[in-house]
Amino acid sequence: MSLKCPVCGKLKKDPVDCARHMFGTGDKPHKAWFEAQGLSYIDLLLSQATEPGNKAYIEVGELIAKAQQG
Amino acid sequence: MTANKYSVLNTRVHNVDGYAKVTGRATYTFDVKLPGMLYGKILRSPHPHARIISIDPTEALKLPGVRAVVTGKDTLGVKQGIWRRYPELCDEQILTIEKVRYIGEPVAAVAAITEEIAEQALDLIDVQYEVLPFVDDPMEAIKKEAPMIHEGVERNVNVTRHIEWGDVEEAFEEAEYVREDWFKLGGQAHMCMETRATVASYTSDKKLTVYTSTQSPYYHQALLAGVLGLRESDIRVIAHYVGGGFGGKFELDASQFCASILSMKLSKPVKIVFTREEDFVATKRRTPMYYYVRTGVKKDGTFCAREARVFSNGGAYTGMGATALYLTGFFHSFPYKWKAYRYDGYRVYTNSLPSTSMRGFGAPQAMFCSEQQIDWIAADLGLDIIEIRRKNAHTSGYEVPGQATIASCGLTQCLDKIEQWIKDRGKLPKNRVIGISAAGFMTGGIFNWFDTPYSFSSAVVTINYDGVVELHVGAQDIGQGSNTTLAMICAEALGVKLENIKVHSGDTDHCPADLGAWGSRQTLMAGNATKMAAEDAKKQLLEFASAKFGYNIVYDVDIKDGWVYNVARPERGMHYVDLVKEALRGKDGQRIVGRGHYTPHRKGMISPAYSYMVQAVEAEIDAETGKISLHNCVTAHDCGQPINTLGLIGQLEGAASMAAGYGYLENMPVEDGKVMNPNLVDYKIIRAPDMPECEIIEIDTYEPEGPYGAKEAGEGLTNPTAAALGNAIFHATGLKMKQAPIMPEMIVNAFKEKKKEGGTP
Amino acid sequence: MEKQLLRFYVNDQECELFINPKTLLVEALRDHLGFVGTKRGCDTASCGVCTVMVNGMAVKGCSVLAVQVNGMNITTVEGLEKDGKLDPVQAAFLDEGAYQCGFCTSGMIMSARAFLNETPAPKDTMEIRRGIEGNLCRCTGYNSIVRAIDAVAKGKYREGA
Repeated sequence: MSLKCPVCGKLKKDPVDCARHMFGTGDKPHKAWFEAQGLSYIDLLLSQATEPGNKAYIEVGELIAKAQQG
Repeated sequence: MTANKYSVLNTRVHNVDGYAKVTGRATYTFDVKLPGMLYGKILRSPHPHARIISIDPTEALKLPGVRAVVTGKDTLGVKQGIWRRYPELCDEQILTIEKVRYIGEPVAAVAAITEEIAEQALDLIDVQYEVLPFVDDPMEAIKKEAPMIHEGVERNVNVTRHIEWGDVEEAFEEAEYVREDWFKLGGQAHMCMETRATVASYTSDKKLTVYTSTQSPYYHQALLAGVLGLRESDIRVIAHYVGGGFGGKFELDASQFCASILSMKLSKPVKIVFTREEDFVATKRRTPMYYYVRTGVKKDGTFCAREARVFSNGGAYTGMGATALYLTGFFHSFPYKWKAYRYDGYRVYTNSLPSTSMRGFGAPQAMFCSEQQIDWIAADLGLDIIEIRRKNAHTSGYEVPGQATIASCGLTQCLDKIEQWIKDRGKLPKNRVIGISAAGFMTGGIFNWFDTPYSFSSAVVTINYDGVVELHVGAQDIGQGSNTTLAMICAEALGVKLENIKVHSGDTDHCPADLGAWGSRQTLMAGNATKMAAEDAKKQLLEFASAKFGYNIVYDVDIKDGWVYNVARPERGMHYVDLVKEALRGKDGQRIVGRGHYTPHRKGMISPAYSYMVQAVEAEIDAETGKISLHNCVTAHDCGQPINTLGLIGQLEGAASMAAGYGYLENMPVEDGKVMNPNLVDYKIIRAPDMPECEIIEIDTYEPEGPYGAKEAGEGLTNPTAAALGNAIFHATGLKMKQAPIMPEMIVNAFKEKKKEGGTP
Repeated sequence: MEKQLLRFYVNDQECELFINPKTLLVEALRDHLGFVGTKRGCDTASCGVCTVMVNGMAVKGCSVLAVQVNGMNITTVEGLEKDGKLDPVQAAFLDEGAYQCGFCTSGMIMSARAFLNETPAPKDTMEIRRGIEGNLCRCTGYNSIVRAIDAVAKGKYREGA
C-alpha cells in the first residue's frame, strides 16, 4: 500500500520502500524522525548492514504504516 | 601489440639498483650502524583498553647498560595523524599519555647498549593500569552502551563518508531484478620482508638524522617535525633501500617516533627494529569491513541501481583509514556505469590495532563483494558473465557523476581478451574451474589531505660534463622500481641511453619533496615531473645545438639515442656528449639544469587517471576438504603506456600473490583485541610452489594525463584476485562465499549446509 | 655464559670469533663479522632471508648457533661474486628482474645457488619451486625468480654460452 514519507511527504509504493527512502536520505530531519519514535537510527542501520533479511526496514515500515493510519 | 616506437620505454632493462641487490650490497635501515649507537626497545600495553595510572622506570634505569627510559610525558604529547588538514583525525600520540587503546600500543621506550639489555629493561618498567572495558568489533563499538574509545567521539564513529548520484529509489523501481547480500571482509598484514626500522641520530646542534624504512621520506620529515618541535629542514630522512612498504610505511610509526625521542634525550644514535611479532601486532593493517550491497538490474543485465553500506573496523586510531573508507565506496561502483548509486561508509573505532591503507586501499574489499554479486546476478538471470560486464563497462569519456571523468579506458578490450582466453583454454582438466573479476583503480590521489605546500612531485635534472645525468627525485623506490622507471622516462625524454642516468632518491637533504610511494602515484606524478625536468634540460641543450648548427629556422633539432640531429636530415648531427661539453662553455662552466614538477589540478574527486583490468583465475577446489589450488592467473591489463617492462611483470605477479593471499590464505583473526597469529608459521603467506603461472595481456591505450600515456600498474592488480577466486568457487560448487579470506572450513561448512538444504545451488 | 673461541671460514676467508655460545650464526655473520648482505626477517625460522650455505648446504642462519659451524665453510651472498664476475644465479636474477625490494634476495639467491648445486637439471619448474619453498618473498610472487633459476639450469649462463 502506498504511503507518504512522514518527513518530506514523498510518495512511496509500500512501507518497506518508504523505510528505505528514509534511511537513504540520512539527513537530519529524517534521522530526527527515528529518534522521535524512540528508535536508534544507528542501531537500525547496523542491523540492516549486518543481518540478512530486511528486519530493520520491515519494522520501520510497519511503524510508518501504523502512524499513517492513526 | 604495436611495435615499440620508443628507444628506452617498454624495453627489458636491468633495474638500476639491481647490482647492489643481487650482490648483497644494498644497505637497508635494518643494516645501518652508527658510531656510539644504542638499541631501543618498546614497552607495549598488554591491555586493549586501560588508563595509565603511573609508569615507574626506576628499576629499569638501574640495569647496567640502560641509558634512558622515555614515556609519553617526555614528549610534546602532540596528537598527530597523516590527515593533517583535518585536526579531528589527528588522534594518535604514539607514546600514549593518558590511556592505551589497543594491545601492543607503546607506553614507554628504552635505550641501552645492546638489544638484549634493552629487552630485559622492559620487564623492569613498572606500569600501573586501570583496566577499562573494551570493545573489538565495530558492530559492538557503535552501540550506545559501548565504552568510549576517544574522548567526545560519540558511538565511536570516527569517520563517515557518503557518495551518491542519481535517484536511487527511482532506479530501483526501474530494476526488474534486485539482489542484496552481506559480506565480511578481513584485515591483512602488510608483512614487509623488512620490519619497521629506524636509526635516529640527534646532535646537540639541534639537527636530527633519521634512517628509516619508509615509503615517503618527505612525509616522515614533516610528521617528525610536527611531533618533535623541530624545523622540518633540520630533519634529514634517509631511505636508500626499503624492504617493502605496501601502504604500511608512510605514516609515523613507533620505531621513528621512539628512536627520535630517545636520541634527542641522549644526543646519541638510537636504533629500533621491530620484531616480526611487533610488526604483526603493533602496526596498522588492511581495513576489515562489513559490507551490505543491494543491486538492481534489468532482466537483460543493464545495471540500474546500487546501494552499499560499509562499517569498517577502524581499530584504535584513524591513520589512513578515512581514505580507505572513501575509496572502497568509490571503487565499489567500478568499473561500471550506474544510473544511480549510493554509498554510506562508517568507520568505527575499536580497541584493536588500527587499520589503514594497504595495497588496493579498500578496493580489494569492494571488488570481492561487487564482482561476486554480479556473477550471482548473472546466474540468477541466465546471463553470460562477460556480456553482463561488457554491457555496463566504463568507456573513455564517461563521467562518474560528481566524482571523476574517465579519460583512457581499455576495459572493453580487456573483457574481449579474457573472453578469448577462456575460449582458447577450452575444456579444462578435471576439477578445475575459472572465475573472473574486472577492476579499475586510481593513479595517485588528488586530495591534499597532508596539507603540503609543495608540488606533489618534483624533479631536478643536472647534466655533467661527461653527459651523465644526475636525476634528483623525491619519489621513493620501495621495490616497485621507481628509480628505474623514472630513469627510463628521463632517458627517453632527454634522448640518451639509460646508462647515462644516475638516480638520486631517498634523502631529504638532497632530493626535492615528493608525496612518496602510495596510491600508485609515482609513475604518473613523479614521471610527469621527471619528463618536464628532462625536457627543460633538453630544450636548453637544443638551444646550443641550433646555434651551433645554424640550420634554417624551419628545421627541428632533436636528440635520440645520444645523437643530436636535424630531424629532416638525421645523419647530420653530433654526439650528445660533445654537445654537452660545448654547452657547458657557453654557460660559463655551469651545468645544464632542468626542473620539473607535477600537481593534479581540476581532476575530479579522486584521481587524474584510472587503470583497468580483467582477471581470470583457474583454480582447483576440493569441496570436501576446502582446499584451493591456483593453476593459472591471466590478466588483461590497461596501464596506458608500459614504461618499465620487467617492473610491470613483477608488479603484476607480486600483486597477484598478495591478492591471492587475501583471497584464501592470510587469515588474521583478532580476538578480544589480540592478534592470534602474529608470526610466519601461523599467518600464511603464499610460497613458491603454490603460486600459479601468471600471464599478462597488455591492452594498448594512451592516457593523456600520464607521461607518454602511462598510468598505474601494481596496486590495481591487487583488486580482482580474491573476487575471481570466489567466482571460481561459485561456478565449481554453487557456493556463495561472503567472507574473505576464504578459509577451508568455510567451504566445507557451506558445502555441508547446502547438502542439508537439499543440494542444488 | 663463558665466551668461546670459534674459527670458521666465510667465503674462503678464515674468521676468528670470541663470542657468547648462544650467538646465532646469522648474528655472528652480521653483527660480529660485518657480512650484512644476509638479513633477518622473523623469529620462527620461517622466512628464509637469513639463508647461507654451510659446507655447501643451504641453511637458515637463524636456526643454527655459530658454535655449530666451528671449522666449517660458510658462504654468504658476498662470496658468490668471484674476481668481479657475478655468479650465474646473480646474473640471471638481474636479467629476469627477479627481485623488487631486495630484502629477501640474498637468502633467495643462496637457496637458488644451493638448489642448483644439488639439482643442476631440475625435471620441471615445480621442482625449482620446491627448492625455494623455504624462502618467502612478498614482492615478486616468485615467478621471476623461478624463471631466473630455470635459465641457469638450462645453461644460459654457461661459460661460452
